[in-house]
Amino acid sequence: MFRAELRKILPYRTVWIILALFIVLLALFVSAGGNVVLNGQQVGATLYTFPGLWQKLAYVASYFNLLLGILLVILITDEFQFRTFRQQVIDGASVAELLQNKLLVSGLLAAFGMLTVLGLGFYFGLTRAADTANQATVGITAVALYGVQVLGLLSLAALLAVLVRRSGPSILLFLLYAWVVEPLLRFSLPDELDRYLPAKIFNSLTPMPGQEVLDTMTGPSVALLPTQALPLALVYTAVFWGLSYFVLRSRDL
Amino acid sequence: MAILELNNLSKAYGSTTALRNLTLSVEPGSVYGLLGPNGSGKTTTLGIALGVLRASGGSVRWFGQAPSASNRRRVGALLETPNFFPYLSARQNLLLAADVKHADPSTVDRALDVTGLGTRQHDAFKGFSLGMKQRLALASTLLGNPEVLVLDEPTNGLDPQGIAEVRGLVTRLAADGKTIIIASHLLDEIEKVCTHVAVLQRGDLRAAGPVHNILATADRVVLRPASDTSATTLQQALATLPWVSDVRPETAGSFSVALSAGQGSADLNRALFAQGIALAGLEVRHRSLEAQFLELTK
Repeated sequence: MFRAELRKILPYRTVWIILALFIVLLALFVSAGGNVVLNGQQVGATLYTFPGLWQKLAYVASYFNLLLGILLVILITDEFQFRTFRQQVIDGASVAELLQNKLLVSGLLAAFGMLTVLGLGFYFGLTRAADTANQATVGITAVALYGVQVLGLLSLAALLAVLVRRSGPSILLFLLYAWVVEPLLRFSLPDELDRYLPAKIFNSLTPMPGQEVLDTMTGPSVALLPTQALPLALVYTAVFWGLSYFVLRSRDL
Repeated sequence: MAILELNNLSKAYGSTTALRNLTLSVEPGSVYGLLGPNGSGKTTTLGIALGVLRASGGSVRWFGQAPSASNRRRVGALLETPNFFPYLSARQNLLLAADVKHADPSTVDRALDVTGLGTRQHDAFKGFSLGMKQRLALASTLLGNPEVLVLDEPTNGLDPQGIAEVRGLVTRLAADGKTIIIASHLLDEIEKVCTHVAVLQRGDLRAAGPVHNILATADRVVLRPASDTSATTLQQALATLPWVSDVRPETAGSFSVALSAGQGSADLNRALFAQGIALAGLEVRHRSLEAQFLELTK
């Protein structure tokens, strides 16, 4: 069945445009970062030194995850718009298979995100801070945590796409939730609770670089540590895919 | 064992009932027509049978089993509209469908040939005319050589030549022993190819059975008495025959009557002669399915 999924994706120009955009924007951002001037000094090569690079890159890349979310929303809502989910069920696919394929696609997108981060990390690290190359693999687990973050956000994107079925409103809802709804919720909830909200949990996987330094000055942050957030992020991901399955199964196609 | 059994199937959309307690059975090798005006519940019936609509009540059985993805793969179906990826070519779309159906990709070439799409196979679906989209949907139903075909309005958007081709295709497939279920509001289409028919109206089943039975009950016998028999005498004689009904006067002193199943025009002639009435003319008037359909859905 997954071959069928590849037959849909590989010739689809929109997919390649969004993936290229992800690489180019992230590369430009990371490249431009070295030219930033702070307190009259160019940040320069210190930005690209291993082992801190991986955490910085994962944090920066997390801002571009929305592009991958939008892509998955498009791939799922297309199936409703073209009525191809309906046709595939008629042709002998089960609802579970339809979603398993999208789950695999989300896995591929997460792998793509991780590979992009790894590629850019090695490129910039080895070319602009070659003297730290002996520590190139230290802290590389940040990239794996970033991959889990992508998987988590994509599970939320998939749920919204299955619920709303139309690309425009789904994308809008996805952005609204990540940027407006959850921040507002966090505002009104006590700190002990808001750190368990899904977008917050996913964000906790790629903490802001230097958070530890800040913590020593301002007291420990309320956000969970990446290692604490990891199991919860996986639970949210599973729950969102489970809900998508439940919605798709209980409605007419 | 029936190919498809529908048992007390119902479907409601909010307060609208699209289907009410439909019970039907499609036997192997039959060409089963679902007939009814727009909105009568044909597509709803097939949508439930094919697993894309949830029934409000009742059950479906395919090949004697509960519906499943694997028994749907034994069915080639075109439901309502041709559903394909617009940016993929005809061939790419069929290869994708073949993967979903677990069908041999080599059947794609044959399906393209049979539906006359061979020369346009590399063109994107979005550039196709309605007729070509319909042909592609028909091609898709043939992938993997399924035992059963479900065709919902298969001649939609086709030109007269295309319609004749589809009819020929259905006849050929039926001759190969395939079971075919066709929904249509075009009576001519159904009458020409079907062995069985079910008539639906506003979600209710109005009649179901072999086409000749449905039509036979619609046949009328027109009789013209000899000049020495008065109309009253003839009417009185007909009234004594319990298997004669619906006596209607026709032009030039003739009458038309409906006969119960199992009785023919010869029986009528014999019974009247036994009562001393000679007929100057006796003719069986076959009714078209259209006339019968209008009668059933009146």
